[in-house]
Amino acid sequence: MAVNTAESPLLGGARRGGRLALPNSVYRALLAVVAAVFVGLVAWFLISLIVQAKPAFSTLGFSWIVQKVWNPSHNQFGLLPFILGTIETTAIALVLAVPIGLGTALALAYLVPHRLRPGLSTAVELLAAVPSVVYGLWGLIVLAPLCREYLEPFLSSAFGWTGLFNGPNQGVGLLLAGIILFVMILPTMVAISRDVLAVVPEEQVEGATALGATRWQVLRKVVVPGARTGLLGAFTLATGRALGETVAVALVIGNSPFIAHSIKSPAATLPSLIVNNFGEATGTELSALFGAGLVLLVIGVAVNALARVLVRSTARDSTASAASVAVA
Amino acid sequence: MLAAGLIAAGVVLAACSSSSTPATTTTKPGGTLESTNSQYLSADLKAPAGALTAAGSTFVQPFFTKAFFQYQSLNQGVQVNYSGVGSGQGITDFQAGNVNFAASDVPMSSSDLAKVPASSGPVIQVPDILGGVTVSYNLPGVTSRLKLDAATLAGIFDGTIKTWDASQIKALNPGLTLPSNAITPEVRADSSGTTYIFTDYLAKAAGAAWTLGTSKTISWPSSAVQTPKNSGVASSIKSTPYSVGYVELAYAIQNNFTYASIKNAAGNYVVPSANTVAADADQKTSVTPTDFSIVNASGTTSYPISGYSWAIVLQKQTNATTGATAVKVLDWTTHSGGGQALAAGLDYVALPPAVQNSVRAQLLTITGPSGQVLLTK
Amino acid sequence: MTTLAFDTSIDPILERRRRIQSEAAASLGRRKVYSRIALGICWVFLGIAVVPLIAVVAYVVIKGLPAWNVDFFTKSTVPEGIPGGGVWNAIVGTAIIGAVATAASVPIGLLCGLFLAESDGRIAAAIRFSADVMTGVPSITIGIFGYIAIVKNTGHFSGLAGAFAIGIIMVPIIMRAGETAIRGVPLHLNEAALALGARRATVAGRVVIPAALPGIITGVLLAVARGLGETAPLLLTIFGNQFLQWNPTKPIEALPLVIYNNSSQPYADLIQVAWGAALLLVVVVLVLSIGSRVLAHVLQREKR
Repeated sequence: MAVNTAESPLLGGARRGGRLALPNSVYRALLAVVAAVFVGLVAWFLISLIVQAKPAFSTLGFSWIVQKVWNPSHNQFGLLPFILGTIETTAIALVLAVPIGLGTALALAYLVPHRLRPGLSTAVELLAAVPSVVYGLWGLIVLAPLCREYLEPFLSSAFGWTGLFNGPNQGVGLLLAGIILFVMILPTMVAISRDVLAVVPEEQVEGATALGATRWQVLRKVVVPGARTGLLGAFTLATGRALGETVAVALVIGNSPFIAHSIKSPAATLPSLIVNNFGEATGTELSALFGAGLVLLVIGVAVNALARVLVRSTARDSTASAASVAVA
Repeated sequence: MLAAGLIAAGVVLAACSSSSTPATTTTKPGGTLESTNSQYLSADLKAPAGALTAAGSTFVQPFFTKAFFQYQSLNQGVQVNYSGVGSGQGITDFQAGNVNFAASDVPMSSSDLAKVPASSGPVIQVPDILGGVTVSYNLPGVTSRLKLDAATLAGIFDGTIKTWDASQIKALNPGLTLPSNAITPEVRADSSGTTYIFTDYLAKAAGAAWTLGTSKTISWPSSAVQTPKNSGVASSIKSTPYSVGYVELAYAIQNNFTYASIKNAAGNYVVPSANTVAADADQKTSVTPTDFSIVNASGTTSYPISGYSWAIVLQKQTNATTGATAVKVLDWTTHSGGGQALAAGLDYVALPPAVQNSVRAQLLTITGPSGQVLLTK
Repeated sequence: MTTLAFDTSIDPILERRRRIQSEAAASLGRRKVYSRIALGICWVFLGIAVVPLIAVVAYVVIKGLPAWNVDFFTKSTVPEGIPGGGVWNAIVGTAIIGAVATAASVPIGLLCGLFLAESDGRIAAAIRFSADVMTGVPSITIGIFGYIAIVKNTGHFSGLAGAFAIGIIMVPIIMRAGETAIRGVPLHLNEAALALGARRATVAGRVVIPAALPGIITGVLLAVARGLGETAPLLLTIFGNQFLQWNPTKPIEALPLVIYNNSSQPYADLIQVAWGAALLLVVVVLVLSIGSRVLAHVLQREKR
């Protein structure tokens, strides 16, 4: 196309001064205006969130964010249970997703027969596009009963001594929410990890193999360290998705506004708090929910920024470009 | 004197196997419908075409959606998009002016009304249906119906009674083998009129034993699983063994739940049904937005956790056409011969005729932008 | 005399190599066992990962297909207990929200991407920062913004408010894909066109964007796929509608909303509708994702 199609229509276009032949200054201005519209929109978003959250801060000070009690009828709007719930569900998801995601990505990139790799990789990437509400539906209808009948009794009897598994087996709760998040972020994590693992230069892999390293040693000492930056990017991106997930979590967490005393307890997260209460809230409660949104935004943006910093600035290895594309 | 009369009426009702059909004698509390009813109803079905948006109570949702569906089949131009989002959100949406009307199982309080912009003018609140709140449970191995009283319910729902074989439950159900499993209370996560009716009963019947108050939102114990909407709680009860929750009667019957018989003010254990809810409501037929509670009424067959759901609409409609549509649809829905005829089939109880008459009187005060009355014969 | 042979016994480097080799040979068995175990664990993890993912897809297909019939695709929602009905209203709603959001976000995203590819100033930094913020923001917060910006200001819920929120989610995705694709266009094409006297707008419209089209289309389709599946913002903005509604300024239904609302219903027929809607949404999203790949592939080949 470079020569054939670009040349003649271009000349024609330039001479005729077609629709698109705006003067350069107008074109530049147009781009700048559109850019300003977008930046303005984001500024409007941030400002309106802050403005709406401000009454909560001015009535309750700043300490309400870390207070323990959420009880709107008594004007108590502590966000701590929800912040902890958000962190705990994400932590459960990551504890499962990091090793399993990494192992899966390694298997997909180096162990699975060559013929199957493209197909499997594409399948995983496509799964990453499945909407989260579908995972929520599956979690509530299919996984909750399994969790209650098999997983929770098993964990309680095997690890009951830790004190982490007290209370009745209800199915819904922190554990199920964490598991759903794990299943939901897994495809994203595997897809990106596989990409960054696959671009570790073949010479390094071959070199290590020639030196007598076993396959595992190659993966452990060459491939994973070589893809370190990209992997970190993948994990942080997945963390961001888990922290902000709303509907899949709201369906399976049990929505109890308390600091969970057990991994099986019903709990709540910042997004589930917002989605369950936003519609009916007024006054300070509404403002507190905007505040919860603001807290969530700060956490989300911080994690995302961390991903970018990790990928962009420390990136010296070959996986950097793949990772930055993936994170974008 | 009055109380004695009411109790007497209850006994009479009980004697004739508590029929929910309103009596024709003036001494019976149900009253009679005004003779103009049918004229209004046929005019209601000629409401101007248009789409209405309404939101609120999930207590009334099964009734509303079917009544509006029926209305649309009779007057195809009118669509009423009712969203069951909970009474609390219905009121909030109404205050924000996002809906043509709202529904709540507890009328807007004075502080709720204060949040309606002054420019919107006064608010009309009318009963739209009568229903009961069941205590439904999922108790594997127990087939017979549990008997529960207010104090025990209070203990179950404030978390102090933790297992099914607790002494308080055993004492009320001698001869029943109860499992030792932990109780999972299933409650509402959203601001709910059903919660209000339930806690209103607990506060009135259990007295000091119930410490969590009467409200649309309660600070439940941490053991409770919270789910939005009546349907959500029903779904959660259905899928969680050893759970117990409160849902509107229609939800309990349609899901084949087992539900408890509840001790009423007369000391009898009463199974919720259209008849026993009607018996409770018949004890008090002059309800107003400030005096609406009918829980724990006297009468031997009264089911004590009963309540009206309320439709909420602005008295001054800013648009004559949608205003007329809204008023006519509401009038049709709240009267026998119109929507109320569907009540029994859906496990609700039709409004007593006296209440229907007062609803129409209220709806007749709703006017369009130029002051014209929108409800016509 | 002809001592070409080195005295290997005292060369420290060779000595070290020999030692390493003998250690490596001695540990080979152990290392192989470790390797087997570790690789075995990788395989196990692959299995653990595959089971739930296959289960999700299998359940959606197995439970969703029985819900699919003519009514499902042609009728609107009917109340619980009344037989029949479908999700036509939600299909139309999702299509409208997707169309409006795409129509609004593609020009903004694309022009911002063009701007980013062409300039590196303070404004570009501001755009990059904004896009970073918007990518990191949980979608429920964007739903809150849709509520403040549209629902509150217009006084009612609407498909438009949902499309606004979804569009905001799509813009950064399109922008980044656009920027990457545009930066990938060889500079000499640009320069050649400019040397011929073409104005910048002409170059952009006739050279750069056509050359970057495969990447742009992929980005747009992925953004649409992502946007159509978003649920949280819709919960705060579109209200839902059991009737068919073509007017985006009115409350509207959408497939993700149907899935979310019906999944916590106690009635088996409503849950089946949720599965059917989930299958439909997954099919649509997958068709968009696969379509973007195929299209990009085809366009890429045509260019050569």
